[in-house]
Amino acid sequence: MELLILPFVFGILSFIIPSSWSRTFGLIGAASSLLVALFHLSGFEPQTVRTIFDPNRTFPLGLSFKMGFDALGLVMILLTNGIVLLVLLSNWNREIAKNKLFTALVFLMQFGLLGVFTAQDGILFYIFWEFTLLPIFLILYWFGAKDNNPTLFKFFIYTLVGSLAMLAALIVLGSFSSSYSYEDLRQVSLPAGYACWIMSGFLLAFAIKIPLFPFHTWQPATYSSAPMAGTMLLSALMLKMALFGMIKWMLPLTSEGLECMRWPVIILGSIGIVYGALIAIKQNDIKKIFAYASISHLGLIAAGIMLYTTSAMQGAMIQIINHSLISVGLFLAADILENRTGTRKINELGGIAKLAPHYGFWFAVIVFAGLSVPFTAGFIGEFILIKEMFSFHMIIGIVAATTLVLGAVYMLRGYQVSMFGAPKLTEFQDLKWNETFVFVALTILILVIGLSSNCIIDFLEPSLSNYQVTLK
Amino acid sequence: MDALIVIFITGLISLFVGMLKKPYLTLGIIASGLVLSFCLQMNYGNYTSIFSKYDNLYFNITQLYFSEMAIGFTLLLVLGGFQYFKQDIEHTSDYLSLLLFSLCGAICLIGFTDLFMFFLGLEILSIPIYVMVGIKKQDVLSAEASLKYFFTGSFATAILLFGIALLYGATASFNLATIQEAIQSGSYSEPMLLIALLFIIAAFLFKVGAVPFHFWGPDVYQGAPDIVMAFMATVVKLAAVFAFLKLYAGTFQFLSEFWTGALNIAIILSLFLGYLSALRQTSFKRMLAYSSISNTGFALFALLTTSPSSAGSLWVFLVAYGCATIALVTISMIIHNVDDKIAAFKGIGYKNPFIGFVMIMSLLSLSGIPPLSGFFGKFLLLSNAINDHLYLVILALVSSAIGAFLYLRMIVLSLAKETENTVEKYPISILQYIVLGVCTVGLLGGWLIIIL
Repeated sequence: MELLILPFVFGILSFIIPSSWSRTFGLIGAASSLLVALFHLSGFEPQTVRTIFDPNRTFPLGLSFKMGFDALGLVMILLTNGIVLLVLLSNWNREIAKNKLFTALVFLMQFGLLGVFTAQDGILFYIFWEFTLLPIFLILYWFGAKDNNPTLFKFFIYTLVGSLAMLAALIVLGSFSSSYSYEDLRQVSLPAGYACWIMSGFLLAFAIKIPLFPFHTWQPATYSSAPMAGTMLLSALMLKMALFGMIKWMLPLTSEGLECMRWPVIILGSIGIVYGALIAIKQNDIKKIFAYASISHLGLIAAGIMLYTTSAMQGAMIQIINHSLISVGLFLAADILENRTGTRKINELGGIAKLAPHYGFWFAVIVFAGLSVPFTAGFIGEFILIKEMFSFHMIIGIVAATTLVLGAVYMLRGYQVSMFGAPKLTEFQDLKWNETFVFVALTILILVIGLSSNCIIDFLEPSLSNYQVTLK
Repeated sequence: MDALIVIFITGLISLFVGMLKKPYLTLGIIASGLVLSFCLQMNYGNYTSIFSKYDNLYFNITQLYFSEMAIGFTLLLVLGGFQYFKQDIEHTSDYLSLLLFSLCGAICLIGFTDLFMFFLGLEILSIPIYVMVGIKKQDVLSAEASLKYFFTGSFATAILLFGIALLYGATASFNLATIQEAIQSGSYSEPMLLIALLFIIAAFLFKVGAVPFHFWGPDVYQGAPDIVMAFMATVVKLAAVFAFLKLYAGTFQFLSEFWTGALNIAIILSLFLGYLSALRQTSFKRMLAYSSISNTGFALFALLTTSPSSAGSLWVFLVAYGCATIALVTISMIIHNVDDKIAAFKGIGYKNPFIGFVMIMSLLSLSGIPPLSGFFGKFLLLSNAINDHLYLVILALVSSAIGAFLYLRMIVLSLAKETENTVEKYPISILQYIVLGVCTVGLLGGWLIIIL
């Protein structure tokens, strides 16, 4: 329970403390949350579910308010707490970090995310799922670009419509069960006519958040108008909520509907892979390149999850972790460009690698990690996913594999045009200590996960195969 | 029953005290009268009132909860609106006691057991409101609103009376239990009863302000003073919806195939027309009026099921809705929004964190975002109805997305960093702090209902 209480208390306290302390306070809070999560990791048995809150009775309407996590949940908790620390750290010397509202909102966001990852009750899951929308909305609104209201409305309404569909699906699902607790919902065997609809209700919510083609239209504009921290939280954590929801909630609970939804999602995911990559190649705005790249990457992950085989889900999990780390790095790099030069247009930049060699180097490392070169986490993840796609259907596999080639094109193009060539600027301040720290930490994590992905796969294996037992 | 008497006597006393022209004294008397009656309703189970022989009014636990809600809302409105009533020192007590008399009607309407009491309650509820709407005597809009409400309201009353007369003709009784028995045993004359049902439903839809009988709503809300508007949107609405629930989901439940069709159409139209019209408004009160039409649509979901929990769900929903409305109206009074423009809210939340917090909470609760009470209200109402009326529930969810857009625009407006107002910080009186605080507790505490 302290996992959730800690960010909440820090969030509330952040409103009260003086603004000059807020960034130190933020780091202390995020670091202590991470320590608590690491403490939970030690001595965790991967095949068990650790209950952190259980009122031991069913409330009216079948609400149970149970909370707990298994290996999958723990990995997501660690990821959340780690990423939040990195996000706060990368904002250390920006104006935004000195605003106590920002620190408070990040903690509330962390609270909501941890709630999503630990909810063992359908309605509780929905409540936390919706709750995360508020802090991120305020972060985007207060600290984002001016006059971004239409973008934000689009983002909010889009995700809200998806969530309402999920709520409807949950209520219908709950009407077949004695309570909304996860165990009871797992035992429901749905009538044939309902399963497909319930699954599509869940899917709409997740597809909008991932975002899956053609529900992605909110994403590029939102990313480019958001402040760095907002983009990082969105792409590194909030989208992962949807993938987590697919693995833990949608597939096990409505596996009867898998047959009718599998092909549509896989096809949409494959379209997204190619479509996102092709548009990313043509972009001039570096943040938009990464935004479309993330549509491409996440399309692959979503399609992989829908294969619903254990190894595809293992690959998806590796790729989820990897994508979170990479997107923090890429958006930090993009924001450094914007912060120092005032522009994100890559054709106005050039030759920065000469002016700021450290920045050039670490940016390149993250770009290569994004290309999934061997020894990085992405290599394992994409390799497993593409292999599984091939064994599912050859054409799908071929389409999915284009991500490797196209990814190289847009990533390297973005990097090359902005960093090499004739210098168009006279000076460019190199990395500050906190930025270097974030890049180094990300690189170490990416390499460690890439080299020891077996450990993670073994750690996740029991819980992932547990989600598959109900496949009929 | 005791509470009713206490409220009525308090109203009378405050009329006399009003001659002293000491507004704070009047406020004290009225507030203590309301608190006393609130407590009386709470302790009702422990002792038998000497008036319990009078069986035209009957209060069991549901009725008590609803009448407590009505008293509580009135108390909040009296406290929040005192600043406004105080200005007209000659009439402060007249206005406040009119509110109390109207509250008496609301309680009759909650506790009635026969149609005679029902009609009486409805009239006691409405007549003071006709007066109250027009108390801004110099204001053309207020006079228009009063006249409009009076004429259309009397017309609706006439239709209602006609319906009651036909009902009497069909079943030979005013008593709800006898009518229900007659319907159940089939000893009634069919066409007359069905026509009576339609007449009564039309009058009800008028009183709660649901489409297609909603046209008076925005005009009257706009013309009425802020507090009277809030009273109409909360107390009048809750009493009318509860009476509606009691008659239709209770007495007429065996004829539900007949009237659910008409009600479904009214619900769908209310949900969409309300929110869609609200999107285009620039006047704050008109916006609130249209959004209250949609919220009525949600509240009417309680009538679609005969399950005993539907009254409880309605209660949660109405508490959330009432707290949000009262909070918004109080904020509108704090910022002296005399021009009644939505744009006047620009930036106030960022400059005044407390107002901003209450405003965000109430708007989010209205749009049904968890974990606020509004979400639980809607969730309870919709999950009761989902088995029989799946399509209606889906439409309701779609409309609540439109509503969320509407409220989100206001949130964004109030949180804007730049403001059009010259005032940096608005002064908030202690009474208003109390009102806003109580409303916030009501908005945040919805999940307690589930647990307790």
